[in-house]
Amino acid sequence: MEKYTASFLGRDCPGVVAAVSRLFGDMGCNIEAMAQTMLSGAFAAIFVVSAPKEQPDASVDKDACGADCLRLRLEEGLERAGVDLSVLVRPAIAEQWGAGLNCEPFVVTVDGPDRPGLIGGMSRVFGRHGVNIENLKAILGEGGEGKALFVFEVMVPDTVDLGRLRRELALEAGNLNLRVSVQHRDIFEAVHRVSSF
Amino acid sequence: MLSEREVTSTLNMLRNEHLDVRTVTLGVSLFDCVSHDLELFVANVRAKIRRHAAQLVAVCDEVGDRYGIPVVNKRISVSPIAVVGAPFGPDGMIEVCEALDEAAKDAGVDFLGGFSALVEKGFAKGDRALIEALPDALSRTERVCASINVASSRSGINMDAVALMGEQILRVADATAERGGIGCAKLVVFANIPQDVPFMAGAYLGVGEPDVVINVGVSGPGVVKKAIDRALERGCNAQGRPLTLLDMAEVIKATAYKVTRVGEIIGSEVASRLGIPFGVADLSLAPTPAVGDSVGEIFQSLGLSSIGAPGSTAVLAMLNDAVKKGGGFASSSVGGLSGAFIPVSEDSSIEAAARSGQLTIEKLEAMTSVCSVGLDMIAIPGDTPASTLSAIIADEMAIGVINHKTTAVRVIPVPGKGVGEEVSFGGLLGKAAIMAVPGGNAQRFIALGGRIPAPIHSLKN
Repeated sequence: MEKYTASFLGRDCPGVVAAVSRLFGDMGCNIEAMAQTMLSGAFAAIFVVSAPKEQPDASVDKDACGADCLRLRLEEGLERAGVDLSVLVRPAIAEQWGAGLNCEPFVVTVDGPDRPGLIGGMSRVFGRHGVNIENLKAILGEGGEGKALFVFEVMVPDTVDLGRLRRELALEAGNLNLRVSVQHRDIFEAVHRVSSF
Repeated sequence: MLSEREVTSTLNMLRNEHLDVRTVTLGVSLFDCVSHDLELFVANVRAKIRRHAAQLVAVCDEVGDRYGIPVVNKRISVSPIAVVGAPFGPDGMIEVCEALDEAAKDAGVDFLGGFSALVEKGFAKGDRALIEALPDALSRTERVCASINVASSRSGINMDAVALMGEQILRVADATAERGGIGCAKLVVFANIPQDVPFMAGAYLGVGEPDVVINVGVSGPGVVKKAIDRALERGCNAQGRPLTLLDMAEVIKATAYKVTRVGEIIGSEVASRLGIPFGVADLSLAPTPAVGDSVGEIFQSLGLSSIGAPGSTAVLAMLNDAVKKGGGFASSSVGGLSGAFIPVSEDSSIEAAARSGQLTIEKLEAMTSVCSVGLDMIAIPGDTPASTLSAIIADEMAIGVINHKTTAVRVIPVPGKGVGEEVSFGGLLGKAAIMAVPGGNAQRFIALGGRIPAPIHSLKN
């Protein structure tokens, strides 16, 4: 079996996940992990699948193989099913970011007037410090009209100077007239979830 | 992934509702510092406090930064000085108090509690020396807090101690007359004093406690008030029914859970980093003079014109109970007082009610039968007779002893000032208009002395 990561993007509607998963099943692929989300009517999903080694198939380009072969077959199947999704397939990543690093989860919130360059500015600070963004969410209208709250869930390696990271984030946020907070993720879970057991 | 509500709710609690860790209190046992030699005892005490408290402030700040929750005060509590300093006379006690003050200053903490005596059944030599030393000790120091436990449900009320404390409170006020009698803000008379309170001025480290321990006091009246207000704005509960007090109790309980969890996580981590055990999280709705950080405002949110109006005792009973229920579910290490405080000068809304005459000492006394402490931070006329003060203490102690709960009296007779005049203590201690004390004369009753026996535990009605 070969392992692949396949991503799908398109119009959200009932039956989208069913169409994709049926195609994987028909191709003998096993879905090992998946995540999906929706935003402004768009559907996006990532599937990690293990697929049987390349099989001769007259219906696809004979030169295509591996990830390309899988993508072509998925595209063809989705078209047949009348589902409008773009497909991207790559060989699965063998080693995830952070393996071998001691990381701690932090939540960085930035709020204030919604303006261009906000996410880019903050993300560059994270990038400089080797901090990985695991989730990013924008809550528009939080705090009033024209305002927004951006929630970065990040993994911070223990080699990062947290004080310096805070200062640089505060500086970047200050330049954009925004407020920033950096808090360990545990506090959010402790306050809102009944038990960690 | 955190939900939107989890993030925004936590941020609101911090930014708009005054959620903080009110105090991380390092308890230090002084039993292994004991000596008959005053100089050696003082040296031992200072060395032990320095050894354990050196990193307290820095670690609290680090942990506060990590979670984004400010640790507002860092404090120290010690073993009752009347016990560990039993060989010393009043002059020696004053010297010990000054050494504790310096140790607190060196550690960078704002208060140190434990200049205390436990005299519910009688006086030992050290107890008398400490109580006699109170006026000088509290006027010469800034950071040391004193507490005297004069009653317990097991022993009854030591009325000799009650009589003595009436006199000593006046002497402490006189000794700090130039600052409005502020020494009395650092002196509490207790019934059933808990051994692990992190809040001042009643903090001390009991004899059954570990050698060193971290106790945490979490507050959050603003968080509770805002949670009630939000629920009322929605206008109905999850089932679409109009809200009732049952729903309000549920809101308070759930909020108390959240706040206590904050205290536990901060306290545990501070203790872990300092390499000492975590003791208790004390969730007490402790107000500050800041608007929005008030227990009194909760009464208004729940439909009373102000605290002191008829219904106040019922509201406070519900509030105190819901806080305990939420806290008890949030942590198995809940201790201290855990409930609601109603300190007059420290709460802008309570102070305003007292100033306008809607809240009287008599009503406050009634309310203390259902809350977690007692008559707290009440400025009274400086010419209040000692016997009247003692009788006020006796009444409050009786409530605690009979109901098996902690009660306390922290009143400030303000020298040279009368009813309606204002006194300002500054900072967290706030300001207050001087309240009238109840009329009548208790001189002969107090002069009888002796002990009011412990109550019977059966035949309850």
